[in-house]
Amino acid sequence: MDKPSHLSVVIDLSLTQWTLCAQSTNPPGITLQDFLSQLLAFLNAHIACKDENTLAVFGAFPGQSVMLYSSTGEVTTTTAESTDANTYRPFRTLDSTIMSSIAERLDSYDGMTEEAPIGLVGCLTKALCYINRTITTALSSSQGGEGAAASVDPRILVLSVSPDQSSTYIPIMNSIFSAQKLKVTIDVGKIFGAENVFLQQAAHLTGGAYVQVERADALLQYMMMSFLPAPAIRQLISVPTQDRVDFRAACFCHKRIVEIGFVCSVCLSIFCQPVPVCSTCRTKFPMKTLQRLRDARPLAAPPGNAPPRPPVQKNGTTTPARPG
Amino acid sequence: MAPPAGRRVGDDFVDDSDSDVSITGLDDETSRAKAKGKGKAIDRNKKDKGKAKAKEQPYAWEASYSRSWDTVQEDERGRLEGAVQDWIARGRRRRLLAPAAAIRRTIIRHLVLVLDLSSAMLDRDMRPTRFDLMLQYAREFITEWFDQNPLGQIGVVGMRGGLGERIGEMSGNPQDVLKAISERHKLEPTGEPSLQNAIEMARASMSHLPTHSSREITIIFGSLTTCDPGNIHDTLDECLKDRIRISIVALAAEMKICRDLCAKTGGVFGVALNEGHFKDLLFELIPPPAQRAVARPGAQGANLAADLMIMGFPMRLPDTSPPSLCVCHSQMKSEGFLCPRCLAKVCDVPTDCDICGLMIVSSPHLARSYHHLFPVKPYAAVMSLEETPDPSKRCHGCSVAFRDTPATMLGAAGEGMSPLGRYRCPECQNDFCTECDVFVHDVVHCCPGCGK
Ligand SMILES: [Zn+2]
Ligand SMILES: [Zn+2]
Ligand SMILES: [Zn+2]
Ligand SMILES: [Zn+2]
Ligand SMILES: [Zn+2]
Ligand SMILES: [Zn+2]
Repeated sequence: MDKPSHLSVVIDLSLTQWTLCAQSTNPPGITLQDFLSQLLAFLNAHIACKDENTLAVFGAFPGQSVMLYSSTGEVTTTTAESTDANTYRPFRTLDSTIMSSIAERLDSYDGMTEEAPIGLVGCLTKALCYINRTITTALSSSQGGEGAAASVDPRILVLSVSPDQSSTYIPIMNSIFSAQKLKVTIDVGKIFGAENVFLQQAAHLTGGAYVQVERADALLQYMMMSFLPAPAIRQLISVPTQDRVDFRAACFCHKRIVEIGFVCSVCLSIFCQPVPVCSTCRTKFPMKTLQRLRDARPLAAPPGNAPPRPPVQKNGTTTPARPG
Repeated sequence: MAPPAGRRVGDDFVDDSDSDVSITGLDDETSRAKAKGKGKAIDRNKKDKGKAKAKEQPYAWEASYSRSWDTVQEDERGRLEGAVQDWIARGRRRRLLAPAAAIRRTIIRHLVLVLDLSSAMLDRDMRPTRFDLMLQYAREFITEWFDQNPLGQIGVVGMRGGLGERIGEMSGNPQDVLKAISERHKLEPTGEPSLQNAIEMARASMSHLPTHSSREITIIFGSLTTCDPGNIHDTLDECLKDRIRISIVALAAEMKICRDLCAKTGGVFGVALNEGHFKDLLFELIPPPAQRAVARPGAQGANLAADLMIMGFPMRLPDTSPPSLCVCHSQMKSEGFLCPRCLAKVCDVPTDCDICGLMIVSSPHLARSYHHLFPVKPYAAVMSLEETPDPSKRCHGCSVAFRDTPATMLGAAGEGMSPLGRYRCPECQNDFCTECDVFVHDVVHCCPGCGK
């Protein structure tokens, strides 16, 4: 029998990026309204799959992270519950809770001040804390006799529209490692914008899928096909795999994403150029090494903020073909 | 057949040592000792090894049949809350005691694990045998070691028949190392061990390493003899010259030469009292040793040269890409990693590029050790909510509601624990529950409130 599964969804709610996404024509974009209605359909599908399935939704707002909904009732809203004979009650609670808490938050942004980076790290760590807590409680309760919800198959789905924030490199990596420890799968749906280096690594290291949504108007189709099946079922069906994984890191000094870095041998801090003293552990490096490294440095000017990797042309390894 | 070790002591009491009655006298004694110890047997073991030898923690071969659940004490209402609380509180105290400043650690480590495969390992004083237990713990040790030392490499050497035997080459891939010791029948213990031969072999396999990497030898030693071709003190001097650190976990008893090897090279020496203590001693060797200060007076120059290394972060090609030749084995392969400098394809990372010599590592390899550098500040236990004007109702991590009324804490166990189950981050002033406090500090290493 298939086991119940847990899904935590992290929604990127950066208003700036959603505005850009809605205006985009190539590839065709999608408005936040359309996105949310498709998302709700997907979430309803998840809880409809199995009665014991659990769901938690986290919103990554500019500068903060909020739990929007959880099926175990951690979030309650004050909105009066109107009864609708045509809707299944749990669907209705889910939809109204999520929509009202999003609206409540978004109203408070005036759009005048510059937008803070979204609280993706907060969402990821909160989702992990929540999963850690639900799993431990489920385990201890199953030892108490009723082994019902003993093993949930937890996974986190990140729906992203924002570019990489290289300042969050270390916390994101830490979250990935804890997800590995908890055996949580991280899926990523990239709805708008360039490839996301850190999220690619997250999906790769936890065995999840990284899906670059090419046609945002067909988002629901993507989500139903790639993200609805639980990890246990995915071994039987063919879900989209990642083309390439970019293993670049961010330097500690300027938070740039680098492909060749200078690393302190004591603490493994990464720098984008040879530095005389490690800023993390205060180790002084020998002048000899500095000179040698400066001489050996590639001629190119220091790279800008997270430049896209040039397409690979050597060995015929460009654009991998899907097997038949 | 030797009788099962646990009964040997009982032989004095009853002549027919086959019957279980022989244990009773001893059993009584230990249970009385336990009642006195109030379930703190584990704690005491760590605090005071000398004392522990006396009664609560007998040597494995003189122990009675022990029931592990006896060490957990129920409170008067038959619940385990006290024991669990005690355990959590101990973890919290340990964290608070840890120094706040980042310690310098040797993260690029090279270790040769030397396993005793002499006939002394067939002794059954540790269940099922010393040999099987050693293999089991060695597997767990390797897994955990790679988890904490991502850029490290492990080689395995065996000691049997008076020779050193190379079992696994130096490798940075946990699977390779585990595979080397997976086949039990190839490692059957026999003959005498030779410390000198094994150490020489281990030393030779680390002689090519760069100066900034640490070199360590960890020996699991079950025998009381060593059968050496020359003077082992010469080997010790060579190890000192190469700055190799030797640590030994002995299973039988202390030997002068073992203690000397460890003390002179700056390693750790321990004699395992029983199965649990064996594991403790072995696992204490896992965390990166804090690097001794470079400018140590009297030491020969810079002790461990700190250096800046150039590294490349590769791009991984999927299984579905068109096959091409790799530069390391010249094989047609689809998957692989591209060197960022010369775009050559290599099979596995971390490695040095065969074309341009760049050290290629994937960023997760490095990032796995960053939690040592930027630990989360310990949360403060909230004792009362009087100073907090508007306390949050739910944990900032998992959103589970806090309890309203303070719980009664059980004696000294509750020291450093919040009666409200609230722990506050000094940076972002958010409150977290007990579960999240432990989880954030031990696993995530990143506060959900401040994202640091
Ligand atoms: Zn930099
Ligand atoms: Zn450093
Ligand atoms: Zn190869
Ligand atoms: Zn190269
Ligand atoms: Zn919590
Ligand atoms: Zn905090």
